[in-house]
Amino acid sequence: MLLDLHTHSIKSDDGRAKVANYCQWIRSRSLPLDGFVLTEHRQFDAESDYSALAAKHDLVILKASEVETEYGHVLVFGVTPEMTQALDFADIRLPLAEVLAVSEASGALAVPCHPGRRRVGMCAHLETYGVPPNVSVIETRNGGSREDEDDRAQALAEAQGYHGIGGSDAHIVSHIGRCATRFAEPVRTMPELVAALRSGNYEAVRTEAS
Amino acid sequence: MDLEAIKRDFLHQVFDETAYEVKADTLVAYARACGETAARFTDPLAEDFQAVPTFVSSFQPGRRLPKGFPKLPGLGMDGGKVVTAHAPLRAGEQVVGRSHIEDVYAKTGRSGTMTFIVLRMNVYDASETLLASADTNMVIRERAKPVKEAEA
Repeated sequence: MLLDLHTHSIKSDDGRAKVANYCQWIRSRSLPLDGFVLTEHRQFDAESDYSALAAKHDLVILKASEVETEYGHVLVFGVTPEMTQALDFADIRLPLAEVLAVSEASGALAVPCHPGRRRVGMCAHLETYGVPPNVSVIETRNGGSREDEDDRAQALAEAQGYHGIGGSDAHIVSHIGRCATRFAEPVRTMPELVAALRSGNYEAVRTEAS
Repeated sequence: MDLEAIKRDFLHQVFDETAYEVKADTLVAYARACGETAARFTDPLAEDFQAVPTFVSSFQPGRRLPKGFPKLPGLGMDGGKVVTAHAPLRAGEQVVGRSHIEDVYAKTGRSGTMTFIVLRMNVYDASETLLASADTNMVIRERAKPVKEAEA
């Protein structure tokens, strides 16, 4: 099962893609994706219901968040209402330790994304803040990565024993599916996704769409 | 920079009200500059002659920002415009544009921290019907810091 774990729709301030258009693109281009996760910037989109779209296109569509910390950007899978009360998702200087702790307490999972990217990736801040405890998964394949950014992410994962996920970081329709995560087992709900991510039984892939 | 304080003090408060006269020749010139060919935008004699929806983004408010708005450190840039059209804008109308700050937020990216100020001008006709909302995004980018060699 192949899921793109990092996408943005027009709900994000810099997103230019409608969710319906992502679905149409995936099907019209016969992309091998089984679904995708919307990770809107600095918010959790609790109101949107994509179940009808998901059913129409036979795709899994899940919702998560991308928040900003002193270590850079972090995807949060399994956001709960309590988490949005405990953390100000719009704050661009959230403490990573707090994001990890609140996520853990809520049954969610925080995943530093594009860690090889300058300024907003974890690698850029290790010298200043050290290796953060309690990280178990990072994004090692990102569709927006330049040059050796993914290599840096992969090296960090190998050095620290992190599992690696993949996501396109798509902001426009044609970028969806550039990177994704291949799971051995079916994943159709957010609890299943969080459980699967904790299991480590998956691999980050860069697809032909890239 | 305390964005919460800025929001508290300035968000959604009208700080400028400016009147504009909508002239047919200006609408035609704007439409042609946009490459429009539809008669309703380019021919003042057309039955449904009206402004191209983005025309309202050419209205300049009397003030760019509210009085007392703090000077944000960094490099200011135009972050683009978004127009929401509610009703046609017709030649010969006297309209009024009322400006307020719709949102202020920050984000981080490869190039550093950026603060976005969303200025919204609501345009009303003489009967106070809302014709359009024109958002202007101002971006304040922090001054570039040297990037470490390992990150470059």
